[in-house]
Order: sequence, then structure tokens, then C-alpha cells
Amino acid sequence: MMELEIELKKASDSLKAWDTTSISLTAGCDLFMRYVTRTSALEYEEFNSAKSRLIERAEKFGEISQKARRIIAMLSQDFIFDGCTILVHGFSRVVLEVLKTAVQNKKVFRVFCTEGRPDRSGLRLANELAKLDVPVKILIDSAVAYTMDEVDMVLVGADGVVESGGIINLMGTYQIALVAHSMNKPVYVAAESYKFARLYPLDQKDMAPALRPIDFGVPIPSKVEVETSARDYTPPQYLTLLFTDLGVLTPSVVSDELIQLYL
Amino acid sequence: MDPRRIPHAAIKPKVRQVGFVPRNAPPEPPARSQSYPAEASSPPLSDSPAGNSLSPVMIPPPRHLSDNLAAYRTPAVPVPETARRRAGHSPVVGSYDPAESLLGTSSPAPSPPSSGRLIVDGEFSEESWLLRRSNSAKFASSFPGGGFDLTAVKAVSAADLASDANVKKTTEKSKGSALELKNEAIPSSKPLKAKTTKSERRALQESQRAAKVAGRVEGNKSTAAASGRVTYAKAAKQPTQKKDVASAAPSVAASEKKGSDRAPEKDKKKDAPAPRMQFDDKSRVEKAKRRAVVNQTEARNRVELFRHLPQYEQGTQLPDLESKFFLHEPMHPAIYKVGLQYLAGDISGGNARCIAMLQAFQEAIKDYVTPTEKNLNRDLTAKISSYVSFYTECRPLSISMGNAIRFIKNRIAKLPLSLSESDAKTLLCSDIDRFINEKIIVADQVIVRHATTKIRDGDVLLTYGASCIVEMILLYAHEIGKQFRVVVIDSRPKLEGQSLLHRLIAKGLSCTYTHINAVSYIMHEVTGVFLGASSVLSNGTVYSRVGTASVAMVANAFRVPVIICCEAYKFHERVQLDSICFNELGDPDAILKVPGRMDVNYLSNLQNRENLQLLNLMYDATPSEYVSMIVTDYGMIPPTSVPVIVREYRREQLLI
Repeated sequence: MMELEIELKKASDSLKAWDTTSISLTAGCDLFMRYVTRTSALEYEEFNSAKSRLIERAEKFGEISQKARRIIAMLSQDFIFDGCTILVHGFSRVVLEVLKTAVQNKKVFRVFCTEGRPDRSGLRLANELAKLDVPVKILIDSAVAYTMDEVDMVLVGADGVVESGGIINLMGTYQIALVAHSMNKPVYVAAESYKFARLYPLDQKDMAPALRPIDFGVPIPSKVEVETSARDYTPPQYLTLLFTDLGVLTPSVVSDELIQLYL
Repeated sequence: MDPRRIPHAAIKPKVRQVGFVPRNAPPEPPARSQSYPAEASSPPLSDSPAGNSLSPVMIPPPRHLSDNLAAYRTPAVPVPETARRRAGHSPVVGSYDPAESLLGTSSPAPSPPSSGRLIVDGEFSEESWLLRRSNSAKFASSFPGGGFDLTAVKAVSAADLASDANVKKTTEKSKGSALELKNEAIPSSKPLKAKTTKSERRALQESQRAAKVAGRVEGNKSTAAASGRVTYAKAAKQPTQKKDVASAAPSVAASEKKGSDRAPEKDKKKDAPAPRMQFDDKSRVEKAKRRAVVNQTEARNRVELFRHLPQYEQGTQLPDLESKFFLHEPMHPAIYKVGLQYLAGDISGGNARCIAMLQAFQEAIKDYVTPTEKNLNRDLTAKISSYVSFYTECRPLSISMGNAIRFIKNRIAKLPLSLSESDAKTLLCSDIDRFINEKIIVADQVIVRHATTKIRDGDVLLTYGASCIVEMILLYAHEIGKQFRVVVIDSRPKLEGQSLLHRLIAKGLSCTYTHINAVSYIMHEVTGVFLGASSVLSNGTVYSRVGTASVAMVANAFRVPVIICCEAYKFHERVQLDSICFNELGDPDAILKVPGRMDVNYLSNLQNRENLQLLNLMYDATPSEYVSMIVTDYGMIPPTSVPVIVREYRREQLLI
């Protein structure tokens, strides 16, 4: 049994090593390990029954993760009302699922999409939404404050949800959250529960760096430095609610969940 | 962290009055007539209109655009803005506007976000058990009452813990109901089944009695909670004693349950005499004085606001105690010695005091002999309680000491009756050793490891006073080669920072030293603040050396992260909103005199003036919004998660 756990750990580590910057991958692997090995099945005498129990739990984990998006979409329907304007940042499949379900429920709303430079994720999302016949408006990232008055809520996904209840997401999320907070607009985060990570950044530089080169279209002199970080940290006081498959949570509950799982 | 929040009347427009409010009513949040007791601050506004006193038809607010969303905001909502908007929409409110019906689908939305989680939990529990261990734990954290404890509480000990934790809550009602519910939770062992029904009835009786007594005592000066607890403990004692006598050969499990029931009650009574006792109640003070071992003379010229805290003249007790030493044969010399050290101030700091006390207890237990005809558990507990009262008279107990005492009493109560005396004593001593090792020494190592991950090269770290754990962190970080410098903030009269400074410099750290009046001057250079704590309370408030709150506030204003380092055994389920209701008063003469500087001793001959009152507070309470993170042996947690740790910790403690 110990051997099996060691094998699992090795597999998890190699998976994590594939993309060291991805928080959701690391968090997902950690949670999976905890979930699967945290069972009295490991005490079973019979190896095969223990093994089948572990496989059962692993499949359950996979199932839950897949269903998570649908659960989140269902939960967030209550927050989207007819005639509302939603500001979206970055391309998140969870957010897309939320909006798709809203369309299926015949809600009337419109979406403001930020461009999401440098990876143009906003444009991808706009494309998808246009296919669903949702009225979409694209903004450049700097136009967020300009349009915030007309916006009713901000909806973003998350790369990772940290222990303080804050989120790590595409660069620009913190900015949008700050603007929304100062104008009293709610910021909702749609994230699956396997993204809860045991990190606790105190400021923007306290995370593992994830850099992505930016193409400006014109050559930049070599002396000039470019900030290429791909993501930022939004502290919990700027977030209103988290939509997760565990329910609609306030940011302070994330730590509660993590403590229960890890201790 | 946000800039300091402006305190103003909390507006909770989650439900609103509709229809019957006159148009010209001043735009006040109408929830006044239904101010929920859970609301922290909702002072009744003097000009709440007559319309509010009508029983309003409460419906969720209409989902007009930003209006609706303003309802979800916490205190950031400015009053005039919402009021203006609401006043502007009063024709829409309550009417059967066709626009409203479109918004009908969003009806469950306004259920308060904080409890939205609970509502949804029930629906999706089967899907979302991924991260769920036991439902009970989750529910207990969101509501102080015991209402949701009944789900899935398996072990008896867990139930006991829940009752223990819940019994200490400040509301009588929840106490009573929690105890009932706890007893209803089905324990797994068979012999207990018979007992639960009896104890159910007893609990019901006691809760009713306690509620009645609490109602009567409401008007008294001493806090209702304190007296309720004391009377509850008293009320609980008689039936438990009767039961003890009645059940000749109780099963181990049953006695365990009863014992742990009694121990926390005795605890409440005994390990909280001075802190809980309100010293402005004359009769109580007289009674306590008669029982006192240490004869303390009360100080004169006390500040009115702090009359509920004990204050004695320093320097008068020592000769008195020395002469009394040989009269007090029940007092073990080790206990006496540590008590004197507390009195003189030789031992200070939460960990040091706790360890000294526990080691003295170990000595006392080793030399203990059960008198004939007496039960070891009860007699030893009584002895420990007498030692605790002695300590309290020397110096009010710190919260760490209180928790340790609770642990010991718990362990004594759980001793199997079949154990011989020497076995019991060795077991207790090893338990104490384990407590010191696990909860203090190893915990410190874990905290140091976690906290040093937050120190980066080039950091300027600020610390206040002398916290042993912060010292360990700084020294360890220096050892592993991190490049940083330290700013040590100090304050009179204790000047504890100087000893820390000496030790840091001896190890080669580069330090800056200044007093607290310059903290705002130096804060702009600082990248992180590390503070220690005497205790962290359940609402995230940090109870620590006086001056800590100021340092944390200044750090917050400069947006510098504040990291509190505190072992988990110092957490307490109490809630404190200010530094006044519970504190310790030190020697006022220490403020008067500046040692070694005769030229600034202007006040030295003003001691007995009536119009001069001296106040030397020892502790203060730092609100949780100034704290970025708390590092404990359970990892790094936000201040909102302290009650979670208290809950988990208490449960674990009983399972040791």
C-alpha cells in the first residue's frame, strides 16, 4: 500500500512538473492525492479491494470535477437577472458555461468583454458568445473604468483560489476588481473547488512567477524592460462571492474548507 | 489591506419596507425596526420615522440595476447614495410594476450571501462531499448558536467538545440549546444511551435555570454572561455531585462524559476569577479578599472606566508572602516559587509563564499523595484549582495559561479510575510534557518554518516589543542566509524591546531601534511587520501587548502586511470588541517614574493627588482588519479562520 502511495506521489509530481506555473494543476493534484489517500481503505488487508476503492474514489473525483462546471453554472443563475450587464475578463470555460446556461434559461443580458492582452483571451470569449447570440461589446483593457458605470457585475474565473480567499487570475483582474470595488459593483468569481490552493500571497510579488512574452507589434529597444508577468493576485476584500461546486461561498470560507481537508 | 474603515451605523438593507412608508419619510435604512441581534452596530437612529414602526411588509428588494447590487455590499455602501436611490425608486417599490415580474426569477438572490452557502449546501450535499469531512463542523462555524450541531456528530468526545465550546458562548439560549442538542447526538457506545436521556433532562433543567438566573441578573453590574456562567456552573454542580454519589460503579465512558462536563464548569468558575470577576462589585471583592492568600492593598486613584479590573499596589506583597510561607502548608514550594516570580515580573511572556506554571504543576503532582477516603481525580482537581487561584492573585492569568489549565483539568478528569496513584501521576506528568512539547516547542518550530517563507531578501521587517516567537523567526531567517534588516519598536514603561535588540545584535543582524512615537515616521521603509500575540480571539481580534494595535494600524495605513505569529493553543473562543472590557492593569508607579533620569521625574511627588489618575494598561486588542495573516502551527490562516481552528483544536484536544 505504501508503494502505491509512493507511485501516486511520483505520478503527481511529474504531472506538476510539466507546467510549474499552473496553480490549478498543482492544487488539483494535491487535492486529488489528499482525497484519494485519505480513506480507511488503505487499512484493508486485501490489496485488491483497497485498490478498487482507491480507483472508485479517483473516478468520483474526476466525475465531480467534470460536473463542477455544471453545478457552478446552475448556482450562478440566481445572480444573473434580466437586463443586466456583465463584465468578463479573460477566457474561462466556467464563465462560458455560466453564460451558456443563462442563455438556455432565456435570460436577457449583455456582456462586456475586455480584450485580455497579451493573449487575446477576451476576443476568443467574444467569439464564443457571439455564436450564442449574446450581445457582446469588446473593450480595451484600459476602458474598464470608463464603462464601469454601466456594468452591473463583474464575473471572472480563477487560475487558483488561495487560502486567504483571494484569487490568482489573468493579469488585469486585480485592476478590474479595484475599480469595481470603488464603484460598488460586485465581483463574482466562478471557480471549481479543486482550485483551492494552500498558498497565501501577501502581495503581488509573493507568488511563483509566470511570465509570458508580449508582442507589441513594433520592436522594443533592448534597454527597455517589459513587465511580462501573466497573472496577478486579487485580495479577498475586493471579491464579493465565489461560485464553486461546494456552493456560493464568501472568500473567508476558503480557508475553512482547506483546514478541514488538510488537518 | 484597505485603508481604515470608517465606522458608521451598519446598513443592512437586505429586506426593505415596502408600500406603507410615507413618501416624505427621511431616507433611513428601514431595517431599524427589525435590527437583528447578530448585527454588530445598529444604534437606533433617533429620527427613524413613524412609518418604520409599522409592521412592514418585508419583501426582497426589487432588482433594479445597481440598487440591487448595493444591497450586497458590506459597509462600503455610503448612506446617502443608497438612500437617494431608494427614495427615487419608491414608486416602484412594492407596486406591481410589470418590469418587476421579469425579475421574478432572481427571487432567491437576496438571501444573505453569508447564509446562501448553507441553503445551497443542503441541495448539493451529495455532489459536493469532495471536500467535506463532517457537516457539523461547517455549520458550527457559521453560527454561534448550537443550532446546527446535531448533524453527524459521531464520537462522544466530539459531542462533549461541542458542548464545551458552545457552553462558553456568551448567549445563554444557545448554550442551553447546544447542550440539549449535544445530548441528543447519538454517541456510539451503548452504556451511554441510558445516560443521555437523564442528562438531557438535566441539561434542560439547567438551561432553564440558567436562563432564569441570567434574566434576573441582567440588571447587575457584572456582565450577564459572567454571572450566567458562574450560576450555571453552580447549578450544574449539584446534580453532577448527586449523580456521582448515586452511580456507584460508573462505566469509564460515563464518568468521562460527566467529568469533562464538570471540569469545564469548574474551569469557568476557577480559572477565571480575576479576569471575569468585576471588581466594581463591592460584595464580590470582599468575598474574594477573605479567600485570598496574597494580601494586596488596592491602589488609590483608579481610573473610573477601568474599575472592573483589579489593581493593587505593587511592592507590598513580597514581605507579606514571605512571612506567610510557612503557614501555607497546602502550597507546594514549586508553585509558591513560580507565583513569586510572576509577582515580581521575573517571568513574562505567554509561553514562558505557561511553561513555568506547567512545570510547577508537574512538581506538585509528583509529590502529591491522595489523602485517605478521597478520590484522586476530584482532590487533585481541587488542589490545582487552589494553585490557580494563588497564581491569579499574584498576577492575573494569561489566556495561554488558562487554556493549559483547562487541558490539565481535562486530563485529570479523564484518568481511568482503575489506575493506581503512581501510574496516574506518571501519566499526568507525561501528558504535561507532551503538551509542552507538542503545543509549544514543536509548534514554535513549525511557525518559524512557515513564517520564514514570507521573508525575502532585501526586506525590512518591523517588530514590536519582545515576542519570543518573532525572535526565533528572525534568528532562523538570518541563519539560513536571508538578507534583511530589522526595526525594533519599543515603548515605556517596560522597554521590552531592548532585550530583543541585544540578542539580535549579538547574532549579527542589522537593526534599527526606536520608540513607538516614531513608528509612523519609519513605517514607509518597512516591508513587513511581524508581531506576537498573547492570544487571538474568535473574531480575529489579536490580544497582545499594549501598543501592538497602534503599530498594526500604522502598518495598515501604509499598506504594509501585518503578520501575527501565535501558537494555536493560545486561541480562545471568546470575542472581544475593545481593550476595555478585559485587560490587565499594571503598576501605575511605573509610568510616573522614569528610572535613572532624575531630571524628567516631574511627577514623582504627585502620587497621591486626587485629580491625577494613572493608568498602566498591559494589553490591547487589535481588530482583525489590520491583520493580514496569522501564522500558527496549523499553517498560515486568515484571521477569519480562527474559530475554525478553535473548533478543530478543541475536538482534537479531547481525542488526545
